[in-house]
Amino acid sequence: MYSDLLHALPDVFAWTNFAAVVIGVIAGIVVGAMPGLSATMAISVLVPFTFGLEPLVALGLMAGIYNGAMYGGAIPAVLLRIPGTPAAVATTFDGYPMAQKGEGGFALQVAVVSSSIGGIASAFALMLLAPPLSKVTLLFGPSEVFWVAVFGLASIIFLLGGNPIKGLISACFGVFVSVIGSDPIYGNDRFTFGQLEMLDGINIVILLVGLYALPPVIDLLETPLKTDGVNSSKLGTEPIWKALPRMKYWKTWLRGSLLGIWIGILPGAGGSMAAFMSYNEARRTSKNPEKWGEGEPEGVAAAEVANNADTASALIPALTLGIPGTAVAAVMLGGLLVHGLQPGPMLFRDNPDIVFGFMWQFLFGAILLVLLGGSLATNSFARLLNLPRPLLGSVIIVLMLIGVYSIHGRMFDVYLMLGFGAIGWVMDRLKFPLPPVVLGLILGGFAEENLRLALRIGRGDPMVLFQNTTSLILVALTVAVVVGPTLKKRFIDSRKKA
Amino acid sequence: MTESRKSRLTRPETLTAVGIILVAAGFLVPTYDLRAISALLPAAMLIGLIVLSVILLLADQRKASAGEDAEPMTKAPKRVIGAFLMIVSYALACDFVGFYVSTAITIPLVAWTFGYRSPLGLLLATVIVVGTIWAIFDYGMSQDFPTGRFWGR
Repeated sequence: MYSDLLHALPDVFAWTNFAAVVIGVIAGIVVGAMPGLSATMAISVLVPFTFGLEPLVALGLMAGIYNGAMYGGAIPAVLLRIPGTPAAVATTFDGYPMAQKGEGGFALQVAVVSSSIGGIASAFALMLLAPPLSKVTLLFGPSEVFWVAVFGLASIIFLLGGNPIKGLISACFGVFVSVIGSDPIYGNDRFTFGQLEMLDGINIVILLVGLYALPPVIDLLETPLKTDGVNSSKLGTEPIWKALPRMKYWKTWLRGSLLGIWIGILPGAGGSMAAFMSYNEARRTSKNPEKWGEGEPEGVAAAEVANNADTASALIPALTLGIPGTAVAAVMLGGLLVHGLQPGPMLFRDNPDIVFGFMWQFLFGAILLVLLGGSLATNSFARLLNLPRPLLGSVIIVLMLIGVYSIHGRMFDVYLMLGFGAIGWVMDRLKFPLPPVVLGLILGGFAEENLRLALRIGRGDPMVLFQNTTSLILVALTVAVVVGPTLKKRFIDSRKKA
Repeated sequence: MTESRKSRLTRPETLTAVGIILVAAGFLVPTYDLRAISALLPAAMLIGLIVLSVILLLADQRKASAGEDAEPMTKAPKRVIGAFLMIVSYALACDFVGFYVSTAITIPLVAWTFGYRSPLGLLLATVIVVGTIWAIFDYGMSQDFPTGRFWGR
């Protein structure tokens, strides 16, 4: 089972594949360091540019960006108390007070080492857990696959938190978009309105760029952030090898890594939840909790190790079942589909070099964080905060247009992307979750095909969907995911009243 | 808190819910022409959208009657509308005038309009971005960009 993992290693060391990871990590740190931009947005913009690239080059870029951005978010969190990414909120608690005390450089070094450790642990979890899980899913037939898709959608809607009605609306919208185009079995047009460009359905990249890249650009232009006065030369940074002996946070790193991995695997949870839980747990077990919040380096370590430990682990359900653990993982699934790689058990059987190579790239990306995000780079990356946001916004607009136009070489896709962008902006402002839309688009067609196949096998009898143990387990899990949060809330409310 | 809007029906969530209901109902019409099995999933999703939007609408109106103020969607509506208009104009300009001319104008125009006022910085950024795009995509990857319908190309 693990021999494929070793066989994939030489490919990863091909210079183009390795360079892709290096470039990805640097780009990820840059993106993460800019408040308002996120790994999700960066990967969405990147995906269309990877069409012509070898899959491992494209995936290496994505893995690098994901790793880099999760650390990059710590830079403004420490220097400005503005988290570069949502997952870096907990990093501000102790990182910013450290910067005020003149220890900003050390805070960033703790962040980069902790991020790297979290990322390495997460990559190992992906390597160890995904292959056996993919073997189990090989046993699935059409009805089980249909229920996996339903479970995936249900879990991301109900475990994401927030308003489940809004989550359901997002998912319905995503599934509806997935059925636009020719019917996969009968070939009749559905909702194409005579547009030839829509016969093949809506390309996922158009949706991704619209939903995830346009709203942040509007944000950049809406509220220009003043970052004057960030003087990176006064960070007080010493070489990272001199700082390493001061970092004795093994217990925090271990606990944070395990928490991050677990939360990453859970659909709907994400890096910010992992960081908060790790921070609270480390503070609770600390010998001097009163110092936390006033510049305790261990607080930075706890938050950063956990928010990076959920990176690769979020891909465990994504690669094996097609259910992403986080929004970034959902976008990465889109990236896989662009290269003709359908997540699921067949991915491991048909493309072992690519899928296992991707896992190695996650590991190397995490290791490279220390080298690239170390002392020198930290100073350089901190200067990024002075980049003018309106200029950045205008450049991203151009990149979005190029990326979407280059898919099929037609402006129709660009207009479609702008439409999805407007919808995405409204959804973002009204707090409709975006991951269910992406997952709906990915799983909608997949679920429909398998549902129809199962019904054909059962000669139209819907009971065929409930006729084996695996299907029933998946139905039970779906019901648990739907009902669980409501029951939990009622239980907590009743205890509060009591 | 009290509702600050003149009409409860102009609350963002209410308007969105009404919009979804209308659009979903509109999309339901073509499903009648489809085979039953082809229409199953889209019709289910559209009906789902209508039902869920009605629930969302009622919940929002209930909040309004309880005096809960709805947050505005943006604190700077003019900037947001301006940003959207500029992006749409850029796409139209690329389509009708051509990619390079539109891009060379849009980068400095957007940045200037939204607060970055350094002429040298704008010039440098435009030259670097347009030059890099040409070198990588046009020259390196032979990628074609829109050349402009106005010019009949």
